[in-house]
Amino acid sequence: MMEDIKEILLEVLQAIGPIVVVISIIQFFIIRTPISLFWQFFAGAILVTAGLFLFLVGVRVSLLPIGEMVGSRLTSHGSLLLLLVAAFIFGFIITVAEPDVRVLAHQVDIASGGAIDSGILIISVALGVGFFVSLAILRILMGIPIIYLLATGYVFVVVLSFFTPPSFVAISFDAGGVTTGPMAVPFILALGVGTTSVLGGKSTVADTFGLIGLASIGPVIGVMILGVIFG
Amino acid sequence: MSFDFILQDFDHVLVEVLTALSPVLVLFLIFLLVFKLPKSMLLTLLKGVLFAFTGLALFLQGVKIGFLPVGNEMGAVLGGFPHRWVLIPLGFILGFVATMAEPAVRILSNQVEESSSGSIRSSTILYTLCLAVGLFIALGMTRIVYGIPFYYIIIPGYLLAIILMIFSKPSFTAIAFDSGGVATGPMTVTFIMAMAVGAADQIEGRDAVVDGFGLIAMVALAPIIMVMLLGFLYPPDERMDSDSEENDKEAASEGKESLSTELPDHETADSNRDADLNKKTAGEGEVSPDETEITSDENSEEVDVNDNDSES
Repeated sequence: MMEDIKEILLEVLQAIGPIVVVISIIQFFIIRTPISLFWQFFAGAILVTAGLFLFLVGVRVSLLPIGEMVGSRLTSHGSLLLLLVAAFIFGFIITVAEPDVRVLAHQVDIASGGAIDSGILIISVALGVGFFVSLAILRILMGIPIIYLLATGYVFVVVLSFFTPPSFVAISFDAGGVTTGPMAVPFILALGVGTTSVLGGKSTVADTFGLIGLASIGPVIGVMILGVIFG
Repeated sequence: MSFDFILQDFDHVLVEVLTALSPVLVLFLIFLLVFKLPKSMLLTLLKGVLFAFTGLALFLQGVKIGFLPVGNEMGAVLGGFPHRWVLIPLGFILGFVATMAEPAVRILSNQVEESSSGSIRSSTILYTLCLAVGLFIALGMTRIVYGIPFYYIIIPGYLLAIILMIFSKPSFTAIAFDSGGVATGPMTVTFIMAMAVGAADQIEGRDAVVDGFGLIAMVALAPIIMVMLLGFLYPPDERMDSDSEENDKEAASEGKESLSTELPDHETADSNRDADLNKKTAGEGEVSPDETEITSDENSEEVDVNDNDSES
């Protein structure tokens, strides 16, 4: 466990440190930003580093092992319908707790002057992820090639984008990127591994590949539909 | 100098984190009861939620008081510059460094090395991804600076991904689409996005919502396209006749050349050439799967030799 924690700390410092240095250089030499703005940035960097570290420790050291256990029990005991419903709820709840999704929602809230509510945005992203996670589980169980679903999903996104109001297009594509954050990825993978392992000889580990790719189409469609309805 | 801003609106953040994490807690509690998991798990669960709660609260507060406002402000200053094109090379540098630093990118690089049975080295993938993300962010900044509609970039990008998918090997396709998220780490999502939104807000004729967003989507698209292209450059376990062997060697060396010539002048962020490279390799990639089917009865030892050749 200590090893895990050390590794997480290193990972977080590695991901944030270098870019903080580069941004500081830009602030001092190109923008000549006022010192108060620099301190604000610096305080933010320290909070983000500490926060991400604690969050990842909580997720990986205790939540994820429980999630894996639940995933394997669920797939071995439940019926197909129960499994699909559980996968949907799982995907939804994990996305609601995803840090990256919250950051995007905040930025959208600020940039749109509150016109696009962050709560509604998060819910439509989470609905999209939930739907596509259960679709992905169904795919593994039915043995449908991943390519078919990815291609259909992407073509649908391209077509739908022409009917989406312009102010929602960029945000909806961004929503696809933020769902693949530190919370969603390990949990969705755990669910997929659980499902494939129950299938035993019928399936291979390769089946779990593509799960994340599929899950990140959901929010794009979810936010686009939100735009079509409210835009 | 006052540091009061650090706790500004912290109560809002606490409420938000509570609403974000309580569903997780409730769901897991239900699971623990339903599946009659050991009591010790309850303690582990509570500890985990406590850590996640504290962490998420600090993270969001840091983003709210630090990264978002400062990023917006920096973007606005740069967008107001007479030489606002400086956003383009800065975008490249930030994208390159952020990708280089992202731990998930290293994991992906090793994954691709494995799937190609070692013929694509992980360092090759790492630098390719850094370049790709850097170029895509530079392209995104170009879009904001010169007012190119988002459609013109994301739709061709997605179509390219779909076309590549049809010709790519299934193992590479799956990895490629999973890798969409690897480069969208905490710094990209928070800081680089905030800079873009700030710049779009500042530049006349741009809209913060319409033009400011879209960068994360492009950062997610870059690895998808690059991983599938890499899959074409080094066919690891396909058998081929002498003709397609030459084709592929050509493709591999061309790919390397273009990449290495792009290295020195990456400051200019020549996205056109990148697009050309994409087209070219995509075109050549189309040839190999067809030809390989015809000559699938050649022995596999030749493939190993061929792989070594193209690597040296």
